[in-house]
Amino acid sequence: MNTNSLTQAPWHQTTVEPLEYHRKFLKENCRPDGRELGEFRTTTLNIGSITTADGSALVKLGNTTIICGIKGELAAPPADAPDKGYIVPNVDLPPLCSSRFRPGPPGEQAQAASQFIADVIENSEMLQREDLCIEKGKLSWVLYCDIICLDYDGNILDACIIALLASMKNVQLPEVHVNEQTGLAEVNMKKKRHLNIVKHPVAASFAVFDNSILIVDPTSDEENLSTGFITVVIDEEEKLCTVHKPGGTPLSNEKLQDCINRAITRNKEVCKLLNKVMKSMKAK
Amino acid sequence: MAGIELLSDQGYRVDGRKPNELRKIQARMGVFSQADGSAYIEQGNTKALAVVYGPHEIRGSRSKSQHDRAIINCQYSMATFSTGERKRRPHGDRKSSEMTLHLKQTFEAAILTQLYPRSQIDIYVQILQADGGNYSACVNAATLAVVDAGIPLRDYVCACSAGFVEDTPLVDLSHLEESAGGTQLSLAVLPKAEHLALIEMDSRLHQDHLESMMDAATQACKDLYAVLDRVVRDHLQEVTTSIGE
Repeated sequence: MNTNSLTQAPWHQTTVEPLEYHRKFLKENCRPDGRELGEFRTTTLNIGSITTADGSALVKLGNTTIICGIKGELAAPPADAPDKGYIVPNVDLPPLCSSRFRPGPPGEQAQAASQFIADVIENSEMLQREDLCIEKGKLSWVLYCDIICLDYDGNILDACIIALLASMKNVQLPEVHVNEQTGLAEVNMKKKRHLNIVKHPVAASFAVFDNSILIVDPTSDEENLSTGFITVVIDEEEKLCTVHKPGGTPLSNEKLQDCINRAITRNKEVCKLLNKVMKSMKAK
Repeated sequence: MAGIELLSDQGYRVDGRKPNELRKIQARMGVFSQADGSAYIEQGNTKALAVVYGPHEIRGSRSKSQHDRAIINCQYSMATFSTGERKRRPHGDRKSSEMTLHLKQTFEAAILTQLYPRSQIDIYVQILQADGGNYSACVNAATLAVVDAGIPLRDYVCACSAGFVEDTPLVDLSHLEESAGGTQLSLAVLPKAEHLALIEMDSRLHQDHLESMMDAATQACKDLYAVLDRVVRDHLQEVTTSIGE
């Protein structure tokens, strides 16, 4: 049962004429759930809840719930880059998160999201792949980052990136030595160390309404009614990592600049939240 | 049995429980907004999520529709990070398909499907962390989710696993106890009438011991029923007071 919306509109307004219903709010520069055009939904973060994973995080962006679990495995490094490890992200949009998804192999949206996350990891250089190498040419870590959406209410890309970042910071990998005589890996489970995360990319997604109005952090209803999307990923040094605009309504340069500025403030908000949560975990 | 002693001389198990003691259970209903009904349960370290959509029109092949009842569509899925070793195929492998079928059969016995002819009820279960008793956690979570969705049930469906060590039946096995080998029984029960919805037993067991194992498991299911009932009533109280305000 959803009794979350602040205004309980008559059902025919939300079902029969959803666009008109949203337009009424946009005229007053706000949205049906009471937010302003540039306001993000409440973000909650929970780190390290899954003990079987090497690192995990659960993110709630309003109703959108994403969980990320990272597991490290050992493998031979790639032939063309013997001093690097692998990072393999995978986004899963199961039918349990929304009735729009059917059981079966990953759909288009899930695959596109997985590729987007892979691009962000590579472009932002949040983690040096050389750090994952244990012995050049022989052994390296593979980090499998599995991101599962549990509740789909719009804007999963932002939530996925936050979940990924938080769980990367939570990952603890044991020390591994390659025994020279036997050539086998010896894992020391007692000595664990965190990953060296050098950059903190944060995404901000926008939806374009009626070819002109930009709203930040769209919910599922707003996504269905919008005419275009844009996602901007910025790291803490205010450097652009990714700009993702998959077709849709053309945007002017100034609108793009607005998006970038909003993304910069969002990065600060999220990093603050992340630091707060990590501090409270260390205190335990 | 070599290696770890599952039952100490004083009668305590590896995690300090008595043989007929359940693990700590924490459950919440109505956790997701998109679904018609949802629930989250933690039994010890096993974390399971269940989500229910329906009853709604049949999607996909119309040929599956039944003229006098609803069809139940289940999917059991384990997160890749839920087990100690990374699970390569979260669903679609044989074990998951078997669990899916068991869940479907269990709930076909419990849900009053005759009230919704020509429609479909979807039950999706996701295991976030697996520490033994996966099937039981799924069934318990799914029961709560079905109640949350407002779909009529004959009775709660409570499930529990049981084992047998040194002439003592053990209840609610953890992963360690399951992998030690030995007999394992999964039981799903409709507690008020003590009707059995599903029984599955692995490994050899002398038929004299079967009765004591079944009794222990049924009693555990009844204890579980008390816990789940408490969760439902508390949730109902919370929801009605917030609507009233």
